[in-house]
Amino acid sequence: MTDGIQEHLPHRHPFLLVDRILEREPGVRVVAEKLVSYGDPILQGHFQGRPLVPGVLMIEMLAQAGGFLETDSLTGKAIFLAGVQDARFKAPAFPGDRLRLEVLSEGSFAGMMKLAGTVSCEGRVLCSAKLMVKKVGP
Amino acid sequence: MSDLKLEVKEMIIQRLKLEGMTPADIDDQAPLFGEGLGLDSIDALELVLGIEQTFGVKIEDEAAGMQAFKSAEALATYIGQHRTA
Repeated sequence: MTDGIQEHLPHRHPFLLVDRILEREPGVRVVAEKLVSYGDPILQGHFQGRPLVPGVLMIEMLAQAGGFLETDSLTGKAIFLAGVQDARFKAPAFPGDRLRLEVLSEGSFAGMMKLAGTVSCEGRVLCSAKLMVKKVGP
Repeated sequence: MSDLKLEVKEMIIQRLKLEGMTPADIDDQAPLFGEGLGLDSIDALELVLGIEQTFGVKIEDEAAGMQAFKSAEALATYIGQHRTA
């Protein structure tokens, strides 16, 4: 689905980093996509003449995809990144890449959730990390 | 030290990567959070997952956590009472 992304996440251009949801089982697993383009504003400066997606943005993509593990919309609320563990950046992402964002819930306690995430492109893993996120708001 | 208490302390050290600490460094009675070991809410989730994986015991909510995380001894007692194996 591409409809409903802006209804679910409070993020907006230029920081909305999820383009499509492919699979979604709230509380368990989400698979989403982000299409990388020369038009992405961040690539103008990272780097001059050699655009590639910053690793920290791949972490952010996983966090945003993780927002879809929540059943209810997050607009008017927020999910904050509370921790990152075991992050690995194995290869960069370039304009034209279709990034697959796969996020699994490892469990939650007292409003804090742990996610295992992988960014891949054409079957190749570019980034993997565990994220701790905390939902805040009504 | 009882075997379970020792196992619990080893799990805490390993799961939270408390490098340089040994089970003997963790006081039986000291609170795990706040002043004692000084753990935070991220550590709490990590411990909940570790307890589930290592001992097969679920800490369902914050009320159960309040009881279980009072001290290393309280946690060992909690696990002993809820463990099925």
